[in-house]
Amino acid sequence: MSTAIAKTAAEEALGFQLPHRRMEEWRWTDLRQLIDKPYPPRQQVKAAAGEAERLLAGSIFHAIAATRMVFVNGHYDGALSKLANGSVAPRAEADEPVQQMNVAFATDGARIRLEGNIDTPVELVFISTKADPRTIATRNVIEVADDASATLIETHLGEGSYLTNNVTEIRVGHNARLDRVKAELDSHEAIHLAHAHVTLGRNVTFRDFTLSTGARVNRQNGTLRLTGEFADAKVTGAYLLAAKQHADTRLVVDHQVPNCASRELFKCVMDDHARGIFQGKVIVQPHAQKTDGKQSSHALLLSETAEFDAKPELEIYADDVACGHGATAGDLNHDHVFYLKSRGIPEAEAKALLIAAFVGEAFDAIQHDGLREALTDYAARWLTEHRRKG
Amino acid sequence: MTLLNIDNLHVKLEDEDREILRGLSLSVKPGEVHAIMGPNGSGKSTLSYVLSGREGYEVTEGAVTYKGEDLLEMAPEERAAKGVFLAFQYPIEIPGVATMQFLKVALNSQRKARGEKELSTPDFMRLVKEKAAKLNVSQDMLKRPVNVGFSGGEKKRAEILQMAVLEPSLCILDETDSGLDIDALRVVADGVNALRSPDRAMIVITHYQRLLDYIVPDYVHVLSKGRIVKSGDKGLALELEAKGYADFTKDAA
Repeated sequence: MSTAIAKTAAEEALGFQLPHRRMEEWRWTDLRQLIDKPYPPRQQVKAAAGEAERLLAGSIFHAIAATRMVFVNGHYDGALSKLANGSVAPRAEADEPVQQMNVAFATDGARIRLEGNIDTPVELVFISTKADPRTIATRNVIEVADDASATLIETHLGEGSYLTNNVTEIRVGHNARLDRVKAELDSHEAIHLAHAHVTLGRNVTFRDFTLSTGARVNRQNGTLRLTGEFADAKVTGAYLLAAKQHADTRLVVDHQVPNCASRELFKCVMDDHARGIFQGKVIVQPHAQKTDGKQSSHALLLSETAEFDAKPELEIYADDVACGHGATAGDLNHDHVFYLKSRGIPEAEAKALLIAAFVGEAFDAIQHDGLREALTDYAARWLTEHRRKG
Repeated sequence: MTLLNIDNLHVKLEDEDREILRGLSLSVKPGEVHAIMGPNGSGKSTLSYVLSGREGYEVTEGAVTYKGEDLLEMAPEERAAKGVFLAFQYPIEIPGVATMQFLKVALNSQRKARGEKELSTPDFMRLVKEKAAKLNVSQDMLKRPVNVGFSGGEKKRAEILQMAVLEPSLCILDETDSGLDIDALRVVADGVNALRSPDRAMIVITHYQRLLDYIVPDYVHVLSKGRIVKSGDKGLALELEAKGYADFTKDAA
């Protein structure tokens, strides 16, 4: 195939060719078009005094007692962090353009090992402060030791125009439990590109939740490898998108061994001209018998011009499995809205309540009450806040 | 003073030409209980939906005045805040919204709209617990999503609980007896009777006389083909029960 397409200004600045719609995985998220201006890498941006603190204080998880590690403009900030960074070496390999960019540009990231029963959640906060458009890349390596139990929060906050490229590798040891909650609350001008590679050992319980709501463009790739028997994984997500926001999640769940269960549930709300995409693939390897794998995505479209695309895929090479998928899209149920209004609840509040209830199903798997409540509150406020901002 | 005045009301479905209400008139004063009886298709549910402000209906003629104001101009939530309450024939299930939370948002929205102080969570909990106990509504039901997984009787009791908490001026009960066995009917009727007061009016819509043994009306109206063809006292309901609707409805065509 010819590679003689003219480079865009964004590609020129990055020195990489961006994925485009003729690549199957990127058919709905054409980064060549969506990244419509240069975001030069390797910019040293120093946050103005108090900026990072202010953004941190505005986080939806600010009130939650957590052991924080804070990264400001791609660099670990010891003064704002309670947890010292470690030195686990990241894998420096990538076979895909966005991750190749990450390998080339990553400045820092969390390198931590979680051991024992950790009651207080560990929160990694990535803050981008207001500056000229630029690319910020970070790479995390998280190890959860055998028999450990932990809650890991990943929060992305920012102001202004930037491209953030984050890669997170997580290995969960045998008999361990990991609850991961990611909140993408980037600036409305931001581009958020992320990869999460999670590998689960034997008898692991893994709960993963991601909120996508801040960035102008959000593309998250997840791979979940089940490499030990009797692992139980639940991957959930919620989109709250408005204006011209675009969010695309591509998730591959790879059952490599028998007797594991995986569930994926995405609840996506799109208003205005927003577009949501969910591409979920479940692979069951030849000897992974007794696999129980199900995925579903549900969209709530609040305007005529909002859009949702779902691409569920099953790739099953074993014969004794229970797998399935489902996808739905629709608008708010008018009978529900009327019932609430007939009890005196104003229309905007009635809708907010129903939206919070719709996405709330995706919060149910979150064990930590404070996190679940913070997300529920955010969802309940979202509609009125984005409509007020216009 | 009249609480509700319906004058020559004509209503059709927005997307159909056929008229469902064809010149209905009714006047209700505070403290009165009016029963509206009629066969299927006579327009009973349409009347309840038009009074509560449901979309999909078009008023082509006539007027409805409530507390001296044009009711038809008000949004459903405005009507509710001013004291109009419809107990649904088929209460709507709302997954993901806990009954307790729903009740609190509803009550406080109404109080806010009326310029009253919102109730604190402890005050609200006390209020609901007290009213729920009288209607055999368990704490478990209050924690569950609105009407989801409720039996027919539980749904009707939950409607009456909402009514008891919101304390409306005009209660419209749409076929509240449908789907209830005699024990459930008695609980619901007791709940309704407990809410009878000189300041509050009720419109009880029903197909059968049975409910009126428990909620005894001051007036009974027979609705046929979209208008009231006969009005009387509670004796009319017994007459209907004995003779059937045919005698009353043949002239209405």
